[in-house]
Amino acid sequence: MTDELHVLPPGIEQPQASELVARNIFVQFQGLTAIADVSLKVERHEVFGLIGPNGAGKTTLVNCLTGFQRPTSGSVVLGGEDTTGWSSVKFRQQGVARTFQAGRLFRDMTVAENVEVTALGLGMSRRAGHQHAMAMLEWVGLADRADSIAGTLPYTDERRVGIARALVLSPAFVLLDEPAAGMSDAECDDLMHTIAAIPRTFTCGVLLIEHNMGVIMGVCNRIHVLDGGRTIAEGLPSDIQRDQAVISAYLGMEG
Amino acid sequence: MAPVSKSTPHASMLRRYWPLAALCAILTVLVGVGSLIGSDQLQVTLTEMLIRLIVVVGIYTFIGNAGILSFGHIGFMCVGAYAAAWATVDPTWKQMMLTGLPDFLQQNQYGFLPAVAGAAVLAGLVALVIGAAIMRLSGIAGSIATFALLAIVNSVYSNWESVTAATSSIIGVPAVVGPWVAWMFAIGALVLAYVFQVSRFGLMLRASRDDEVAAKSSGVNVVRMRLIAFVVSAMIVGVAGALYAHFLGILTADTFYLSMTFVTLAMLVVGGVGSLFGAVAGVIVVTVIVEVLRHIEAGVPLGGITIQIPQGSQEIGLGIAMALILIFRPAGLTRGNEIAFPFGRAARRKRKAAAS
Repeated sequence: MTDELHVLPPGIEQPQASELVARNIFVQFQGLTAIADVSLKVERHEVFGLIGPNGAGKTTLVNCLTGFQRPTSGSVVLGGEDTTGWSSVKFRQQGVARTFQAGRLFRDMTVAENVEVTALGLGMSRRAGHQHAMAMLEWVGLADRADSIAGTLPYTDERRVGIARALVLSPAFVLLDEPAAGMSDAECDDLMHTIAAIPRTFTCGVLLIEHNMGVIMGVCNRIHVLDGGRTIAEGLPSDIQRDQAVISAYLGMEG
Repeated sequence: MAPVSKSTPHASMLRRYWPLAALCAILTVLVGVGSLIGSDQLQVTLTEMLIRLIVVVGIYTFIGNAGILSFGHIGFMCVGAYAAAWATVDPTWKQMMLTGLPDFLQQNQYGFLPAVAGAAVLAGLVALVIGAAIMRLSGIAGSIATFALLAIVNSVYSNWESVTAATSSIIGVPAVVGPWVAWMFAIGALVLAYVFQVSRFGLMLRASRDDEVAAKSSGVNVVRMRLIAFVVSAMIVGVAGALYAHFLGILTADTFYLSMTFVTLAMLVVGGVGSLFGAVAGVIVVTVIVEVLRHIEAGVPLGGITIQIPQGSQEIGLGIAMALILIFRPAGLTRGNEIAFPFGRAARRKRKAAAS
């Protein structure tokens, strides 16, 4: 089945960018600093964790990395190319995909159509797009819900559809915004397997925002920690777990 | 392998185009029966209904897929009507009254079909230029911009003496449109609207209707999709304008203003904005309501007495019908559904469930 995920139609190539870089990003909302001087680099072969307490600026940073928020200063560089002025549509077409905290499925459309839309947005025909969408749904384990109306799906399945929709045609990077929120332990385990498989299966780097420490520590190769819009640590999961600044700012708060 | 539905290409084609085929069949039966047994008055009503159906189908092509309410489409009907009339009216009259027309229109008289084609092209061009500016707007801002478009078109066509004859009408438009001609174009409009709706453009546009942000993150160029739909819908409505001119035989700009906008939008809302079936059902239901009320307004003899309701009851009745629909079925009579495919597994399951 995974073969079908990789067979791209003629004329459509997987984006080549090998790294997604944020350089000294600042974001200010009317004088309020949401992000101050954050730099990070996500590589193609890894799952990169982005954590921090509520309001730390994680989603704002993801918005910057996908063209939904223009940094006040600093830049986002995709595979060596400066992305200043790119629209969110261009980011996706150049291979940077994302999911949303709120799911944001196309509620009145079927599950299969939800996924197909991305294939169409990237230039496929309806027939090819549908086939590709079905292969994606099978990969996330939702092929049997293909004809359901998206608005009727349970919360946890919505996330899977969101992930399938983002991974259509193998982007170079996918940014997952709290995919485990509200999931049971068993569902989290499934999700971890899915996320861990993304870099291998799709040659696609993952940036993962998540509050569930089990998921973060279980799948991330490296972790970046934000607090109050600033970087307080970056490193291997084992290092982050021992980092005093992180423990007091973040892990400590959860007791 | 999870079970993925496999069906032959023919069966899936049939399933996909079934809603369109069913609508075309309904319309054909309606016109067939109406023109066989109907009085002259019924022929007129039928023709007018079919022209309105084309208008509503055109408006639906934009509103239904893009999810942006448009008050401006009757402006395209006006553009189309005048464009066609400029082509088909007698040159001697044009040279006398419409001195500002370009020579190729002023000196010549064209046939009905080229005139309709010209109407579609001009309406489409106007939509392309205006749409490029206003399709960036979403929600209420977009709707207000389309309303401004309607007001501007009306002002221009009511005042541009040398091209539109301003407040004096354009007369002598050949009245060649009857029920069957209107039927032919109505079928064409249905086919175009449905093919657009199930095309890749239609699906991408519907995605942006459900969630604009998510559509952008799926690589959908939302503004471009809206613009394509705006132009296609304007062309359909422009054709309807051309037909209306060649149905009335006389043309004034105020025909294409607020009351026409209200009636056509009411039809769409009553039937349901979410489906082509809704557009068609709305036109038929509203036409029936309005016709019945009009008959009673004119007075219906019943036994010895004549039952009559005051003038204006038509509008009030339509308003009440719309209010009732909005209260009890906010998504319209069809609730955004197309006509379901009556054969095959899903339908059998449903019937079985209903029987047990």
